[in-house]
Amino acid sequence: MQITLQNFTKTFDDVTVIEDMNLTVKDGEMLALLGPSGCGKSTTLFAICGIHRVNGGKILFGDRDVSDLPSQKRNVGVVFQSYALYPHMNAYENIAFPLKVRKDKPADIKRQVHEIAKLTHIEELLERKPGQLSGGQQQRVALARALVRKPDILLLDEPLANLDAKLRLEMRAEIRRIQLETGITAILVTHDQVEAMSMCDRIALMHDGKIVQLDKPSEMYNNPANKFVADFLGNPPITFLDAKHQGDLLVLPNGHEIKNPKLAASIQSLQVGIRPECFGPQFGTGIKGVVKFIEKQGREELFDIELTDGSQLRSIQPSGADLSIGDDVDWGLSLDDLLLFDLQGERL
Amino acid sequence: MKNFNWLALGFLAPALIVITVFFLAPVILTGIFSFTSMSTSTGVTGGEYLLNQSGLRALADKGLNQVTLDQLNNAGYVVDEQGLAALAEKHGTATADEMRKLHDNGQFSARRDMERALKDLKANKIRSTKDRKAAAELFKHSLLNERFEAEANFRVALVEGDIPIEDHEIIVTQAYTGWVWTVDNVKLLFSLPSTLRYAGNTLIYVTLTLIFNIGFGLFLAITTFYLPAKSASTFRAIWFLPRILPPVMYVLLWKWLTWDTGFIATTLSWVGVAPKNWMLDTSTHAWVVVVLINGSFGASLGMILFSSAIKAIPSSILYSSEVDGANRWQQVRYIILPHLRWPILFVTSYQTLSLLTSFEHILLSTEGGPGRATEVWSLAAYHIALDNYGGNLQYGLGATFAVALVIIGIIASLFYLRFFNFNEMVAKPKIEG
Ligand SMILES: Nc1ncnc2c1ncn2[C@@H]1O[C@H](COP(=O)(O)OP(=O)(O)OP(=O)(O)O)[C@@H](O)[C@H]1O
Ligand SMILES: [Mg+2]
Repeated sequence: MQITLQNFTKTFDDVTVIEDMNLTVKDGEMLALLGPSGCGKSTTLFAICGIHRVNGGKILFGDRDVSDLPSQKRNVGVVFQSYALYPHMNAYENIAFPLKVRKDKPADIKRQVHEIAKLTHIEELLERKPGQLSGGQQQRVALARALVRKPDILLLDEPLANLDAKLRLEMRAEIRRIQLETGITAILVTHDQVEAMSMCDRIALMHDGKIVQLDKPSEMYNNPANKFVADFLGNPPITFLDAKHQGDLLVLPNGHEIKNPKLAASIQSLQVGIRPECFGPQFGTGIKGVVKFIEKQGREELFDIELTDGSQLRSIQPSGADLSIGDDVDWGLSLDDLLLFDLQGERL
Repeated sequence: MKNFNWLALGFLAPALIVITVFFLAPVILTGIFSFTSMSTSTGVTGGEYLLNQSGLRALADKGLNQVTLDQLNNAGYVVDEQGLAALAEKHGTATADEMRKLHDNGQFSARRDMERALKDLKANKIRSTKDRKAAAELFKHSLLNERFEAEANFRVALVEGDIPIEDHEIIVTQAYTGWVWTVDNVKLLFSLPSTLRYAGNTLIYVTLTLIFNIGFGLFLAITTFYLPAKSASTFRAIWFLPRILPPVMYVLLWKWLTWDTGFIATTLSWVGVAPKNWMLDTSTHAWVVVVLINGSFGASLGMILFSSAIKAIPSSILYSSEVDGANRWQQVRYIILPHLRWPILFVTSYQTLSLLTSFEHILLSTEGGPGRATEVWSLAAYHIALDNYGGNLQYGLGATFAVALVIIGIIASLFYLRFFNFNEMVAKPKIEG
């Protein structure tokens, strides 16, 4: 089912957390709501599932305006940031709860709970109380509870935050598999970009209560709308250098000149964003500097290079480069992948 | 006792002293009193030895044989110094001396014999029959209505009165006017028909008031939870009034409401209902008022505890129940009430115990009436021991009633702990020590 937010506004007392947000999640799509902590992701989610009333604008499920519908009537499955399992019920009762309040027949409830428990691999945990489950197991119980009554929409609020790296990888695949299998429209709230990029069809990147860009993951990475997006996506993060525009040349602070005929002549000063994978020996020479820091990440190594003028660039290289701190380097840039921003941070 | 911590004892000492003096001592004393026959007539210190007609009747009831009873009852006559002194006063020393000469230490069981002995006087005749009769009376020697300070003296008197030695014990016991150790109170407790009545009243009182208390407390806590914060706190404050008012004032308000010239009667008289006392009119009315008085008083405790327990429920759980489709009622039933299990247990057991022992509101309102319809156990104990219509305050019996109440209280607490599965709840500490 398609979800549409029209000029959605949410205020708490006199603090406006979200203002005039517009967002459309297509039917059967999985959308990531990505953004730094406190930007309003959970608030948006709570408004969609009806826990928060909207202070302005509309929320549509399909063509139906649900803005004034209580959460009980929206048929939305939610996995909360804190799981919100009922502590006095065991896993089975937790999962059965939405069916029980819907007054399904006990036999039906049993069948459905076992089906969903199988899907989420928690069949052997059904007797346990939440307090006796690990974070990841609670997560899956919460997911099962959200899915069991076949909701029209699935909302996941940072569902993988508490898992270890391996389980997180498994659960990513698992959630995506379940979402694709059930064809449910889903919104995944996260501040983990890798999660957003690997699991979702599209990403809505939020900043201070606004959506700054809504795009496919690869598009958003390669073609960020502004400096915030470029900065937020990518790990290790992008570095920025101040540059001058002289004729058809870009002059970096260390004096290095780059030919760039496309830029409007009116622009004098700008910022150049350089991702770590766009700087290295494979791109020729011309940028001299000193290795300041090396971080070994197993398969790859991350270098902090201080340029001659004191500004810094980051570079990521396959392991095995024979460098140590203090060594001089002379590397080049991948000119096609440079990202240019004006001083306000907008993409040029 | 190498590790004995004197410092800790030092810190605990004040608390221990307070507990001992103000809690343990009264309980133990009550326990002790319950096995005595203390009452106004026995006093609380020692007593004397005095046999009177009612004592004789009691002895007869206890199976003392008729011969001994007659012996005790019928006056015997002994010519002793005491009698002679009295005679000397009335008829002169000469008469007394002659009598001593003739019949010193003479004993006569019947008055006739004594009179005959007086006729033996030759030199100092007592001529008129009437005087002789009076003189005989001077030598009358009976145990009845004579006070003895010490037990030994009484026993001597019994020996002198020729009472068979095997009957002494029972007579001495009967004649003692002070309190004695006894289990009669317990026997009485189990045999009095009113005991059953008090027990029944107490059961009605505690059960109905508890239901009202907990139910109303829950109702208030849950409804105010769903109200906006401001009106909720106003609403809650109203139910604190009974707690804040002095009990006498609070009950007075109820009386004013229910008197035959009170609010209800006056209002209803406008629609033609004859005024009457709506509190003491019938026992049903009395019960309704008693339950309402105590219930409204107690509801605020439950309300405040339940309210704070509801507030302690993580909001995400309530949110989650809503998106899961639970309506208000289901939310209350499946989420809120299970979270209130502990406070409900606490309030129920706490209120049971305090209702069992508290009677001030009943005392101030119905005073146990009409008749003894609302006389509960603790009120009965109070009436028996401290405020008896008959005037004879039976401290011992009252104490027995009180002790029985303590035992009932302990049994009730044990029952609650079992019923609410206390062990399961405390078995696993959240923080491993
Ligand atoms: N009930 C509330 N009353 C007042 N302010 C609130 C309330 N709930 C959230 N906020 C504020 O709204 C903003 C957005 O909160 P929200 O919970 O949506 O953040 P988030 O994006 O989910 O962050 P995180 O990633 O840390 O979960 C925050 O600044 C927060 O302080
Ligand atoms: Mg959040």
